[in-house]
Amino acid sequence: MNKILQIGWKDLIILFRDKGALLLMLGAPFVLTLGLGLVTGAFSGGSNGLTGIAMVVVNEDSGQLGQALADMFFSPDLEDLLVPQTAVSPQAARQLVDENEVAAAVIVPASFTDSILPDNSGQLGKPVSIEIYANPARPISASVVDSIVQGFVHQVETSMVSVNVAMTQLVMNGRIAPTNADDLMALGQEMGQRFITQDSAAPIIRLERDEAAAEAATNPNYLAFLAPGMAVAFLMYTVALGGRSILAERDSGTLARMLIAPTTTTEVLAGKVLGIYLTGAAQVSVLILASSLLFGLRWGSLPGVILLIATVAAAATGWGLLLASVATRPSQVSSLGTALMLIFGILGGSFAQIPFSGILGQLSKITPNAWAIDGFTTLGQGGTLADIAPALLALVVMALVLFGTAVLIFQRRSGALIAR
Amino acid sequence: MFQKITALAWKDTIIRFSSRTELLFFLILPIVFTLLLSGGASSNQNGDVDNRVPLLLVNRDDSEPAAMLVETLASSDVVRIDEQPLAEAETLFADEQAPALLVIPAGFGEAILGGETAVLELRQLPDNNNATAADRAVQTAVSAVSRPWAAARASVQEADRLEAFPDEAARRAYFQQATALAESLLADEPERIVVTQPEAALGEASTYDQAAQQSAGQLITWVFIPLLGTSALLAFERRYGTLRRLLVTPTRRSTYLLGTITGQFLLGVVQMALLIGFGILVLGVNWGRSPAGLTLMLLAFGLAAVAFGVALGTFVKTERQANNLSIMLGMSMALLGGCWFPIELFPPAVQTAVHVLPTTWAMQGLSDLLMRGAGVAEILPETAVLGAFAAVFFVVGIWRFRYE
Repeated sequence: MNKILQIGWKDLIILFRDKGALLLMLGAPFVLTLGLGLVTGAFSGGSNGLTGIAMVVVNEDSGQLGQALADMFFSPDLEDLLVPQTAVSPQAARQLVDENEVAAAVIVPASFTDSILPDNSGQLGKPVSIEIYANPARPISASVVDSIVQGFVHQVETSMVSVNVAMTQLVMNGRIAPTNADDLMALGQEMGQRFITQDSAAPIIRLERDEAAAEAATNPNYLAFLAPGMAVAFLMYTVALGGRSILAERDSGTLARMLIAPTTTTEVLAGKVLGIYLTGAAQVSVLILASSLLFGLRWGSLPGVILLIATVAAAATGWGLLLASVATRPSQVSSLGTALMLIFGILGGSFAQIPFSGILGQLSKITPNAWAIDGFTTLGQGGTLADIAPALLALVVMALVLFGTAVLIFQRRSGALIAR
Repeated sequence: MFQKITALAWKDTIIRFSSRTELLFFLILPIVFTLLLSGGASSNQNGDVDNRVPLLLVNRDDSEPAAMLVETLASSDVVRIDEQPLAEAETLFADEQAPALLVIPAGFGEAILGGETAVLELRQLPDNNNATAADRAVQTAVSAVSRPWAAARASVQEADRLEAFPDEAARRAYFQQATALAESLLADEPERIVVTQPEAALGEASTYDQAAQQSAGQLITWVFIPLLGTSALLAFERRYGTLRRLLVTPTRRSTYLLGTITGQFLLGVVQMALLIGFGILVLGVNWGRSPAGLTLMLLAFGLAAVAFGVALGTFVKTERQANNLSIMLGMSMALLGGCWFPIELFPPAVQTAVHVLPTTWAMQGLSDLLMRGAGVAEILPETAVLGAFAAVFFVVGIWRFRYE
């Protein structure tokens, strides 16, 4: 047992002294978490680019609706979302879009109000359209501006249709007499004003959400997802490097030397496996500790975190061993390990939350990443050991299956393992 | 000299592709990542690409309003509904098979037809951007489908103000009549919003084009990393002492560097051409609007990246350091340069700060070509900046270059 521990400890020390290896073991996940934190606004209270959208409005309408729309962009409700400005002409507004200064220009045409609200004689003007001149380089921001304008137009349309429906029904059902056109017109106009300006009516449909989950979904803490994702992604690199060391020791002759000593092949291999496992567990622990201290990230239940580190390191070690068992050269393990790290990273959700379905959804389940991220985020949200039991079980099963397979392959290739 | 440069470039190509696994990084992984991130690997039952966010839907109400809501959600561009019984939906949601679960409870339609507020239950996975997207899509559908009912309710209230309804049945009949009338009137409403784009971009999608974003972004990521890896070639030569041996041959330092740079640069160009071909043929990305502009942009980006690799090679000591630093810097700079997520989503201060990176300018140039319909003249600023990056990195590389 002592020999196994010594070999394992030796491998741990070697890897943690390798500056080149540390770049990907600790540097890359840390830098990428930092980078993702920056671009998602996780370090600035969630203020990402979908706040402060620069846009410009030109109001050529002399009626109340054009002014109401223009005023809405400058309202306190939208002050976090938009950075509006006015332009003197449609040409000037379009130029701001062409120069990539703003995400969209909203151009309200002359007689927009007249096209929706009937005049005193009940006549409507010719239909005209609000133009949204969208910046193709900022399609998401432009679509936000579009949806705001749509919301306004829908409200106005619905109000006018409400007046139309109400008046029609009142007459049809004999609740008012269609005797005096002027009275009807006056009633319709009064109703229209009331409908357009009233915003206190109870909603037709109310969305009921779990408050805590809705808050977390509306203002997600991306770091809680990114940090474990990155830690696990680069764990795959570490275990591949560990697997590589088995073949590297064979090539450099140190494996043969160890076997000359009173040490069995099983002890040497067990020591190597222990080394990979300890290195992986240490790597994830360091990253978790660093993100707690530097980013103030809360990881949740300590026993849960320890168990997850232990099991994900075991599952990842299984993958590292499998790679070493099928590869013929150390460089092959390195290359395949880096490839596996990237593929598992994307499939398991370390790099992006992609809603995989079908076969890709099933494939994601063979990655330690998917289970570990699930477990870590559950713990971070206050989950208990019972909540992460499925993830722990899946990782343990994965580790056992991969260890078993690797051992079988090693046994069949035992000669090749000791000498090329 | 030309022969020497060719020989050096060929030698580096042989070294790089000495292992077949290099093909993984040269072509296979870039294609896999582009496909997965662009949603090109997701397809619906008809085999069409469908990268919408899955939304579990439980409809426990056999009413027309509920059916209308389901129909509106089904036509969403953002969510793909997966209708399930409650127990199955809850299991799938608990397994995080979908980021959101919407329950239309029994009595939903009854509440609406009775002029009351109907309630929908929405459950979301926390800290999940797909859950946020699903939430917004549900709100949009609710808003759209509510319009005739809002008009009908207003009409009922007006009637009630003048004369109370004799009973609930009369009130409900009035509401249904109003709903039908409102639906008909809303359907006849003219188009009051028109979305236009700069003339050069006409014909391009005005909405976010994930395939174009990822085709460009992944191209930059996967070409940038190996070109930074030029640094590993220099480390490799130093380790084996071949650089020292070059001293005894009539080969100048500049010839050696030019040969190394040429080889890696040309490989980068080939890789970019293959990835663009993939984008055009498989993802349907319109890369061909300005072939001259695209060529100029790619050459400038390739030069800046390989020059960065050369400069990096003069700082690193071992191949592993060089390779790992290339991956770390390449991924980080691609991420910050807007290659993974649109830069418009970044906080405003970060959007400005990331302009110190060559990847930002490369992504901006390719986005201009792909999404803004830019030509040679429009992408000259980005090309010039990348050229300046190349010049600075080359100077640093040549200045610091040592044979051992």
